[in-house]
Amino acid sequence: MRHMWSHLSRLAATAVLVTGIAAVNDAQAAGKIRLGLGDIESVETLNLLIAIEHTKARGVDVQLISFKSEDIANQAIVNDQADIGIGTPYAVIQKVKAPIRLFFQLSTLQFYPVVNTEFYKAWKDLDGGDLVVHSRTSGTQAIANLMAQKHGIKYGSLSYVPGSEVRALAMLQGNIKATIIDAVNTNFLMDKAPGKFAVLPLEGVKASDEAMFARVDYLEKNAETVGIFIEELLKTWRAINKDPNYVVTERQKLGLLKDLPKDLEKEVLPYYQIGVKGGMFPTDGGGMVAAKSDLDFYSVAGQIQGSAADLKVDDFWTFKPLEAALKKLGN
Amino acid sequence: MALRTLGRQTWLWKLMSFALFFGAWEIAGRIPISLSFPTFIETFIAFVRMTFNGEFATAYLQTIQPLIIGVAISSVAGVGFGVLMGLWRTMEWFLVVIFIILYASPVAAIIPLVTYMYGIGLTSKVIAVVIMALPLIVLNCYKGVRHTHPSLIEMVRSFQGSRWQEIRLIILPNASSLIFAGLRLGIGAGFIGVVLAELLITPTGIGDLITYHRSVADYPEMFADITSIIALSAVSLTVLLKMEFLVRPETRKR
Repeated sequence: MRHMWSHLSRLAATAVLVTGIAAVNDAQAAGKIRLGLGDIESVETLNLLIAIEHTKARGVDVQLISFKSEDIANQAIVNDQADIGIGTPYAVIQKVKAPIRLFFQLSTLQFYPVVNTEFYKAWKDLDGGDLVVHSRTSGTQAIANLMAQKHGIKYGSLSYVPGSEVRALAMLQGNIKATIIDAVNTNFLMDKAPGKFAVLPLEGVKASDEAMFARVDYLEKNAETVGIFIEELLKTWRAINKDPNYVVTERQKLGLLKDLPKDLEKEVLPYYQIGVKGGMFPTDGGGMVAAKSDLDFYSVAGQIQGSAADLKVDDFWTFKPLEAALKKLGN
Repeated sequence: MALRTLGRQTWLWKLMSFALFFGAWEIAGRIPISLSFPTFIETFIAFVRMTFNGEFATAYLQTIQPLIIGVAISSVAGVGFGVLMGLWRTMEWFLVVIFIILYASPVAAIIPLVTYMYGIGLTSKVIAVVIMALPLIVLNCYKGVRHTHPSLIEMVRSFQGSRWQEIRLIILPNASSLIFAGLRLGIGAGFIGVVLAELLITPTGIGDLITYHRSVADYPEMFADITSIIALSAVSLTVLLKMEFLVRPETRKR
């Protein structure tokens, strides 16, 4: 009997070892991604975290590295210290001639022009008025420029305060009278002071807020690995668009962001509901349409030099990885 | 003989030191150590261009405001508190802990907290400068006063000098080297404070130029921005050193 137990335990240990080696081999075969995130893991990145977990389940070793800002993440990609980055590094591609290309649109810009109704009620009131945006060359400044063009107005002053939450707080304190902020902070303002603020209409802004990019040589050498990741991103984005509650259920199932405070936990579903409603999460990875509208938008923002009509999309984007994934999953 | 005379010229050694540093920078940029790392020549051209097209002048007009206000407050309050703490035990016990904690604290982590109390305006930036500069000035002044040689004080007392004469003729002149050292360190720290504030609170002045050039990947310009603040800080410290020569002529012998 004792002999049999010893035999069985040896067999079990061997089985575990073999399975372990197989798993390691599988991971090696499926490849490795060092993903540089210019932000911290939060409610806004939950969709990405879900896609990462699904990619890991398919044997890809995804290492998430959080950087202080998008610029630092860009440098990590340029210097080959991370494989895939998140952001819109058009200026780095154009000015430094960095061998990196965008390949997947993660989200479109979702910003809202919010004004203190005591001072402004419509875009025309902002003619000669003060508007505060994130920074020079940011998406919020591009929105401000576009709206000024569209409504034929000229701002009295355009100043910069980085961070939607900081600008929202400044609006609440009365330090600023008009700004452009994200959906979460717009809701925060409307809840905190109902009637005090109004959202001005905004049409025709469809540029990337965040997109994935990597070095060209990495994308070529790791086509299969990147393909798996894109497939999981597409599946996750499509599931969220179908039902935003998918983020909540998957978060619980996968045990993601366990230490999220209760207050923020309540924001998960509304954030994705608002995002889906505004078409924030593209179900087709953006592709050519996203690339072209980005060139239009970011040349107005001043991040890209030259007219959008003279710029070549292939100098900034590569479509092969996305096309391969879409072929597998269907449009 | 001529070589020996040339070797005694300090400006020559200083020039060689700069040449060596800028030469190494140029080589590093040409290798390049990173695609984003500009050469010295590219940076120098950007520096000259921004100096003459008025970009630096416009930026520094904004940066200089919180810097001057902050350094002025820190200098007056710092020397005042430092001297009082050195002269008066109760004041020392009451304040020294606060300034040592401020000196030892990671200021880059504290500056964003200032916005929660004072918002995003000029006040926050002035406070950022004061937080950086004040502890250095206070602690140096305090040490300078406290470490006055006891035999000198004994001498004044033996000549029946008043307390005021003791302070004016012995303690303050004796502490002046450390007071000026504190002011130099404080101004240097003030520059760090104002740049941190302009990078962490709201991008204005030189902080805005750095943020802007980084965001549009104009790296030679970004390096020129940073070089300009280092140069301005170095020039300010040299001016202060010359002022110290005027107040304390004996230091010229150094």
